[in-house]
Amino acid sequence: MAREIVVEHLARVEGHGGIEVTIEGEEVKDVKMRISEGPRFFEAIIKGVKYDKVPDVMRRICGICTASHSLASIRTIEKAFKVEVTPRTAMLRDLLIHGEVIESHSLHLFLLALPDYLGYPDALSMMDKHAKEVKAAFQLKKTGNMVHNALSGREVHGMNDRVGGFSTMPKEEDLLSIKKAMEDSKAAAEDAVSLFASLDIPDCTHSENILMALDPGDRFGYLGDHVLISDGKRKRVEEYRELTNEEVVKHSHAKHSSYRGSSFMVGALSRVTLCKERLYGTANELFREHAEKLNPRNSLNNNLAQAIELVHCIDRCLEDIDALFNNGIEKEELAKIEPRKSSAIGAVEAPRGILYHDYSFDENGCITQANVITPTAMNSANMEKDFGVAVGRLVSERKENLESTLELIARAYDPCISCSAHLINVKFV
Amino acid sequence: MAKPKIGIYGLTGCGGDQLMILNLENELLDLLRNVEIVAFQEASSVQQDEEVDIAFVEGSVSTELDLERLKDVRKRSRMLIAIGDCAIGGCVQAMRNQEMTMKEKMEEVYGKGEEYFKVLEPYGLSKYVNVDLELQGCPIETTEIRQVFLSLLHGDTPEIKDYPVCVECKLNEYQCLLVDKGMPCLGPIIAAGCNARCPGLGIDCVGCRGPIMNETNAAEELHTLLEKGYDERYIENRLRFFGANFEGILKLSKMLREKTGGARGK
Ligand code: SF4
Ligand code: SF4
Repeated sequence: MAREIVVEHLARVEGHGGIEVTIEGEEVKDVKMRISEGPRFFEAIIKGVKYDKVPDVMRRICGICTASHSLASIRTIEKAFKVEVTPRTAMLRDLLIHGEVIESHSLHLFLLALPDYLGYPDALSMMDKHAKEVKAAFQLKKTGNMVHNALSGREVHGMNDRVGGFSTMPKEEDLLSIKKAMEDSKAAAEDAVSLFASLDIPDCTHSENILMALDPGDRFGYLGDHVLISDGKRKRVEEYRELTNEEVVKHSHAKHSSYRGSSFMVGALSRVTLCKERLYGTANELFREHAEKLNPRNSLNNNLAQAIELVHCIDRCLEDIDALFNNGIEKEELAKIEPRKSSAIGAVEAPRGILYHDYSFDENGCITQANVITPTAMNSANMEKDFGVAVGRLVSERKENLESTLELIARAYDPCISCSAHLINVKFV
Repeated sequence: MAKPKIGIYGLTGCGGDQLMILNLENELLDLLRNVEIVAFQEASSVQQDEEVDIAFVEGSVSTELDLERLKDVRKRSRMLIAIGDCAIGGCVQAMRNQEMTMKEKMEEVYGKGEEYFKVLEPYGLSKYVNVDLELQGCPIETTEIRQVFLSLLHGDTPEIKDYPVCVECKLNEYQCLLVDKGMPCLGPIIAAGCNARCPGLGIDCVGCRGPIMNETNAAEELHTLLEKGYDERYIENRLRFFGANFEGILKLSKMLREKTGGARGK
């Protein structure tokens, strides 16, 4: 019997993409995660651009994780030219990326993921019955945006974080209002953990997940130069090609990644699992409390992991602000840069997982080669694995259920393709 | 009175302009009481293909699919507003237009081989359809979205800024980065509306709001930058980040090439 299932719109994800599953009898024959978002060829267009403005172009890869792209780009350039930044710059960057995670996770958890579980098309129509959640979402999102504004100069594509440091220091009064907003939103973040822990999460994707996350050092965080892998290995980010093995697949504008022949997962669930010993404070307590709901074999648990990270990020922003006040926020000059012919690879943990930038420069500091690997590109193959596992288990279900399950899985990864996805296409041959 | 129907759509871009609409946060909830949203790609699974009073379209036309969707939205909307640089001048993804072919870009990123996708050289919407209003910015400013929403609700035409960033910079009494510090600021040729964000932070403007159409300014800018000793290729790249699809910038690009005999410098 041949059946064909088509879901035209998978909205509430960032970008144009889709899913195609082919089933023969009871067997899943083929699974495709299609990313049809128009490619923008950043790696090609950036060639010839001088290092000073490279981050200004590269951060425009993504509107949501713009600071992550900025920092990945800046860190790569600084590595290439052997630039050391001051402890104050390092502290501000730590604050910036934690603020970005708050903004991004609250957007995803409440506005993109939650409507599925509560049965609404979007968060705005939840206002009547779930005003508390919608307001919490906006409160948290706004708090994250305040960090973007004060440190990078704008909510989206901020420009104040430069190669060598920050052009202008954040104002004292801005840091104080961020501090107040963080204190006021902590309860909302903790509520998010209880809320996502209370949801009935399907376990149809239950299967082996290889996990990867940057090694944040002693304390949980989003910056690092080594990659932790769930098989126990630890690699330098410079070995990223071995860890990702990108290949072009015909059905997608995103290249697919694999590690030793298998797909792997990056993102919040990978981070909290691989770095659970480095969580501290309330986030650590909440992780212990809900540990059994954070089984990394169920990718859908990524939502709860994000909620735990929200709590971590709020505490960390508060810590960073205190440390900044203790150590002073007077202006510092940008580090001096001497371009040279060189190459470097830098990474950050973007909200959705590891993000690599890889550049080569000529002697004038102009780009001669660039490669960027985004977390969604890395996760695509693992999503396909999960779609296959889920459809294999649910093959006798009605097509509507299959479709909505596939959407639920896709959304749990918080894919950042950039707007909306089409063509979920389940074919029965 | 029936509430105006609004659709928010995205083509190829970074999603940042739709995000700026969401960044209105609590105000958005108030605005929504006065309108009916029938599509909001980044935020809702409601996607009704119905007629709308106002369509906001983000993103550049970079694929055949984008073009199809744009034409469909145009057909269904009374007023079509392009939001953000991608939808106006193609933004950074257009910076190598007429300089590199799509095939070259494809091979650079995906490797040599067959053509995998139907891609188009990126352009804004007005190359293909009639656009009623363009909201500049990469991303658009929340203050401007608010204004536009309000004036449309009142039936007014929103005001568009046709003067350069320098004006806002002077009003704020910032030190001029170009004249006083010799930094390659594009303020003189870029449309105002950001309240001179970058000069306010001590950073030279890269032109993220796109150029104003005034050739005199552009030629003068070029002259100043060359005088300050900036390399032609550096200036050309600079102008192209957000301006490669604009007549005035293309002219400058050509002038530069004639001057340097097309040499690809540093
Ligand atoms: S700093 Fe830039 S924007 Fe300001 S006046 Fe000078 S050239 Fe114009
Ligand atoms: S100063 Fe220039 S680059 Fe900065 S926000 Fe304004 S238009 Fe954009």
